[in-house]
Amino acid sequence: MHTMATALLACTALLAALAVSEGWAAGPFDAPGFTKVFTCTACHGPAGNSESDSMPIIAGMAPEYFKKQIAAYAAGKRPSPEMEPFAKMVMHLGVDDVAAYFAAQKMQPTRMTADPAAVERGRKASEPCVVCHGKDGKGDVEKGIPTLAGQPAGYLREQMALFKADKRNPGDVQVKATKALMATMPDASLADMAAYYSSRR
Amino acid sequence: MTQFTRREFLRTGAAGTGVGLLGLSVGGGLAGCAAPLTADIAPTTRRRVIVIGGGWGGATAAKYLRMGDPSIEVILLEPNREFVSCPFSNLVLSGVRAIDSITFGYDGLRRHGVRVLHEAATAIEPDRRRVRLADGYLQYDRLIVSPGVEFQWEQVEGLAANQDKVLHAWKAGPQTVQLAQQLHSMPDGGVFVLTVPPMAYRCPPGPYERACQVAWYLKTRKPKSKLIVLDANPNIVSKTGLFREAWKAYPNLEYRASNKVIAVDPGLREVRTEFDKVKYDVVNLIPPQRAGTIAVQADLVGADKRWCEVNHTTYESVKHKNVHVLGDSTIGLPVPKSGTVANAMGKISAIAVVALLNDKPVPLMAPGNTCYSFVSDREAIAVVNSYKIENGKVVMIEQKLTPAQSPFVAQRAEGWAKSIWHDVLG
Repeated sequence: MHTMATALLACTALLAALAVSEGWAAGPFDAPGFTKVFTCTACHGPAGNSESDSMPIIAGMAPEYFKKQIAAYAAGKRPSPEMEPFAKMVMHLGVDDVAAYFAAQKMQPTRMTADPAAVERGRKASEPCVVCHGKDGKGDVEKGIPTLAGQPAGYLREQMALFKADKRNPGDVQVKATKALMATMPDASLADMAAYYSSRR
Repeated sequence: MTQFTRREFLRTGAAGTGVGLLGLSVGGGLAGCAAPLTADIAPTTRRRVIVIGGGWGGATAAKYLRMGDPSIEVILLEPNREFVSCPFSNLVLSGVRAIDSITFGYDGLRRHGVRVLHEAATAIEPDRRRVRLADGYLQYDRLIVSPGVEFQWEQVEGLAANQDKVLHAWKAGPQTVQLAQQLHSMPDGGVFVLTVPPMAYRCPPGPYERACQVAWYLKTRKPKSKLIVLDANPNIVSKTGLFREAWKAYPNLEYRASNKVIAVDPGLREVRTEFDKVKYDVVNLIPPQRAGTIAVQADLVGADKRWCEVNHTTYESVKHKNVHVLGDSTIGLPVPKSGTVANAMGKISAIAVVALLNDKPVPLMAPGNTCYSFVSDREAIAVVNSYKIENGKVVMIEQKLTPAQSPFVAQRAEGWAKSIWHDVLG
């Protein structure tokens, strides 16, 4: 048993040694900002590419939008029991560095797949959204409009429900139009639109 | 010299025969690639970090060490072949989840180049920088100890001799399944007794989440049955108001604060508190806890003989140099003994160890805590804590609770679990 274990140990060591000799790059710890973001990645996924349905992908997020959201979370304007303490932590660490780190990461669209029928219904239901978010939900960085394409559907649906109930950024004039639109949408359409935007690339 | 056990190898290694082994075939089959066996003899050209314990802290540390500096050799010592998540294991008791859904292998760590050995470390020799295994020693440059908790069986009379009958199910795995079976086969009209140990223990809200899951199960499946919670503490120790609110849905739950269990008698099916005797059909006795045994034996625990004091920014033991301690076995930081915290400590210690081995300054890093509890089959609550470093110590920035239980929180809990399991093992 022990000679087997020793042999396995030896083999893994050899493989590891080969990997090193093939010239692995220096570790990701040297990436600017990494030592400030490792708490985020527990929920938001490696480099901010969320693996789950309910946590948003923050890799590749426009820094200005990122910073605006962190400020809103920290001030309690975008109420979130999870994000308020962590937004304050990000402010303490330096929001510019954290925003720059995630902006530099390549966004990988969610791997969660949606029901094609829901996607098709969502495409129709989301026609009024195109005017701001664009045809494929890519948003507009200049105007501070976020990308919806490729975000996990569960996250998008929850945010739409929060807009509809006026629980996200209450009183914020910048999202007034979004809320007015969401208020006209039946709940079933929220899930369909979430499926649609989630499926966009 | 055709067959070498590790012990023989280490004994001869010191005499310098290791180099001569290069290229020789040791035994057959897998042993054909035996050349780097020299790595088992110190000194090595590569730096070696040994991690003891493949739970939330240790597995994370091992992975991040390899990510941070692939030239460091990382050996993880973990006797269990599978990782079973304590978070979400209460849902296995109520039958909401299957144990398979919270069970994972260590192949993800192997893909990062971690050498995972399913062996127990039997002793640590900090002065000689080596760890003893059942058969031989392993040298290290730095050691990370993440041994979790051990139970203080002796604190409850009758417990040590009846470990097979009186279950804790506080380390997710076989006992989780056994306790679920005991609960599910209990006759309707029976009494389930759950006992909560005095602070400090692993996962402060865990017993109260468990109470919710057992009460939910009994309410829906065995409506004439009753749950009695005997708490050694004067009140619910975490998410107090939220659990009180959740328990309004469970009139079958009787909570008795300041009821410390001091004895158990499986023959009489009875637990004894300082004031009272309580009969049970099924008992779940969560024993008082201390740091994992190896930490106690290696003199990493403080004067209390229970927990390990560490540096707040490197997690290096205050008692032994080059030995770092993580997770539930630590004390002195204002953080709960939670999976999220252990995961954060794993990353911080890995970053610190990589910096120290490369003669670089250690960045100041603080952990964060996100902790969800399911109060029924579909609703959850959460507590979140963020921290900073101030004058070299971890200080809390803020604690926030969910305003109420909700299915949305439960969905985010699912998302948290999926993400963090991947962060620990993927």
